[in-house]
Amino acid sequence: MLPVLALGSAQPDSLFKKANEQYAKARYREAMGYYRSIVKGGQHSAPVYFNMGNASYKLGDLPSALLYYEKALQLAPNDEDIKANIRLANSKIRDQIEEVPEFFMSRWWTSVYMSYPADTIAVISLLFSFSGSLFLIIYFFAYRTAIKKTSFFISLSCYALGLFSMFILSRQASYFEQQYGIVFNSPVYVKSEPAEGSKSLMLIHEGLKVKILEVGQNWVKVRLANGNEGWIKVVDLKGI
Amino acid sequence: MSLKTGKSVMYKRISYIAMVLLFCTKLIFAQDLRFTAAVSSTQVATGEQFEVSFAVNGSGDRFTPPDFNGFQVLSGPNVSNSMTSINGNTTVSNAYSYILVAVKEGTITIGSASMVVNGRRLVTNPIKMTVLKGQPVQRNQNNSPQNAQDNSIADESPADLSKSLFLRAVADQTNVYQGQQVLLTYRLYTRVGIVDSRLDKLPDLTGFWSQDVKDNQQQAQWRVETYKGQKYNVADVRQSILFAEHSGNITIAPFEMTFIARVAAPSNDIMDQFFGSSYKDVKYNTKSPPLVIHVKPLPQNGKPAGFTGAVGNFTMTADPDKTELRANESLSYQVKVTGSGNIKLLKDLTVNFPPDFEKYDPKITDTITETAKGVSGTRLYSFLVIPRHQGDYTIDPLQFSYFNPVTGKYVVLAGKSFKIKVNKGTAESNVTAFSASGKEDVKILDKDIRYIKTGDADLSRTGYSFYRSIWYLLMFFAGPVACIAAFIYRNRERRNNSDVVKVKSRKAGKVASRHLAIAEKQLGNRNEFYEAIFKGLYGYLSDKLNISVAELNRESIGENLTARNIDPQLISQLLTTLDTCEMARYSPVTSMSEQEVLQQSKNIINRIEDEI
Repeated sequence: MLPVLALGSAQPDSLFKKANEQYAKARYREAMGYYRSIVKGGQHSAPVYFNMGNASYKLGDLPSALLYYEKALQLAPNDEDIKANIRLANSKIRDQIEEVPEFFMSRWWTSVYMSYPADTIAVISLLFSFSGSLFLIIYFFAYRTAIKKTSFFISLSCYALGLFSMFILSRQASYFEQQYGIVFNSPVYVKSEPAEGSKSLMLIHEGLKVKILEVGQNWVKVRLANGNEGWIKVVDLKGI
Repeated sequence: MSLKTGKSVMYKRISYIAMVLLFCTKLIFAQDLRFTAAVSSTQVATGEQFEVSFAVNGSGDRFTPPDFNGFQVLSGPNVSNSMTSINGNTTVSNAYSYILVAVKEGTITIGSASMVVNGRRLVTNPIKMTVLKGQPVQRNQNNSPQNAQDNSIADESPADLSKSLFLRAVADQTNVYQGQQVLLTYRLYTRVGIVDSRLDKLPDLTGFWSQDVKDNQQQAQWRVETYKGQKYNVADVRQSILFAEHSGNITIAPFEMTFIARVAAPSNDIMDQFFGSSYKDVKYNTKSPPLVIHVKPLPQNGKPAGFTGAVGNFTMTADPDKTELRANESLSYQVKVTGSGNIKLLKDLTVNFPPDFEKYDPKITDTITETAKGVSGTRLYSFLVIPRHQGDYTIDPLQFSYFNPVTGKYVVLAGKSFKIKVNKGTAESNVTAFSASGKEDVKILDKDIRYIKTGDADLSRTGYSFYRSIWYLLMFFAGPVACIAAFIYRNRERRNNSDVVKVKSRKAGKVASRHLAIAEKQLGNRNEFYEAIFKGLYGYLSDKLNISVAELNRESIGENLTARNIDPQLISQLLTTLDTCEMARYSPVTSMSEQEVLQQSKNIINRIEDEI
């Protein structure tokens, strides 16, 4: 594409701006080209993926739109816009799968550890660690009992919070370590075994998000949102 | 004529003569042959039906009807045969009858019919008909009788039927805009007589929306037309008005018909040739060549915003039936679109009524006629709205746009805007459908994705995440490590401070110099000066040697300092200074001045500090 060639060395931030301008003029293909060149340049961010998702959606490419939205969600797990667009895009795909209802506690817990991006949580845990250490040092050198006591308890709670945020971080990291994929072909037969001749269990269509359980040579084992499992070909799937 | 044919003609002639002779013996004497013509009435009015019958009391052949010039043949010839045998006397009679209708007024003669009976050619008497003025009868332009082709054309027997009997699909224009109307005519061209015809296949007009032209005449109308230099009898079989639904070259598939055509059969029979031509009925199937219509898309530039696909030439009026009414009463708003074009294909009009008006789908009434000139008429949209609240409202002017294919331009017609005054309704309380608070849910019109993020790109390196980097761990543990360092430092400090002796000895110099500083201020006050010096030295030594002041005396100082390897000279100097101080406190005479004592004390302390 022309804009990519012409602006290969441009600043990513200005590329982002240009892409948004193109998007505003409804030239989605051009906008997509600019966004792609940002990602090709080794940079990414939630807004970039989100806008790529929007451009794909406008171009009618639902599976790509969902793929980019999911990528954006990984970088900004609590972004309301991304969630809303995922919901809307999901309502347009062929397969409507009832998700297994989550227990309210686990839903709450997910919302807790997804409340901030991983790096933000990391910074928060660092702040707790620093302030905990600071108060501990105050405790070491203070002479007056009141100061000693207060600083000791503050320090303890800071350390506790720091460890808790580290734990949350690890939960989020392990959540995203679970591999998900978007089906990119239509229709796709979900087979009972990783072999062409095996029984077809389900028929799914492009845009569906599946969990990747196992990756083989040409086949991947996937689990659908309703809990059904089966094997599909690697080529029919794109990992998030 | 060749010998062979001459011979065969000879044989035939002989056989005829023999036949005639054979029959003559019986029949000639049995009866006299009569061939008569009769009409049901000799005086008819135009448009009135009457019957002409030709009867022969014998079996004849080669019946040739007369020219029914001035009449139209409705049916015929209806042939009836009867044969009666009484006492061996066989009577055969044949009758040919026609139902005719008079077309022209005046006195018209029905000519003679001829027939060959028993080798004799018989003719009927012509009949004079008086035709009075009656109902008008439709006539062709060339005054030839209806439904009867001009015989002069059919005279010549064509060698190839496809040249003298064919179909054509003719469009009034083949280069049109999408949605523009095209008049398509299936035309039959013939130079032969047609006995019967049947429509086999009408093309499915894919790509068009079609509307048949309703013809109020049952019979095809014949006229003479010249096509490619030949004169033909031409009739329009069917007419349709087409509206192209998409652009491009659209082919109209062939249209098929089967005919039974009457063609003159060339005969070798000398008698046939002599007595006139003979006919042969031939079944003939033909189809029209395909016709291509070039459809142009409607131009994009200048396309009005609310264009709904109307193509043609229209006028529009829009009127409400009243401009003042009470709340909850109905108001009718009528939009009338009149003109020619694809009026039946008009999409629903959207009228911007005030949002407080309850509106219903419009009632659409079409009064449309399809003629060869095209589809034209009126479409009436009748919108029923009910204002629910009192107030002054405005109905925005309605815009109606259409494309005029003749000028190739879009035309926008705008109605007027109307002010509607809604007074307080009588039965406002009856409307329970509306909640008391007057609030309604926000109407969700459509769903769309949320708009892109236009703020900061907030870019980071792909694959890099801070929380996975070594820096995060290092920084996280930096705090505890600092704490441990601080802890170790504090403990060492504490340990140092807990060793009092060391501390005292370390601080002895400082304490002593403080005492000496006091002494320096007391220069002149003899007693205070020496006391300060003495205290300073004693205090210093007590701290330094870790001996309580009480136990401190000349001997203990000497021993301790010697034990610490202090220069004996320095020790004696110290002891001398101490003695001087002690003595000076009680006796006024001293060996050294105050200044000297101070200087010496400082020196001593400095030297002991250096050595211990």
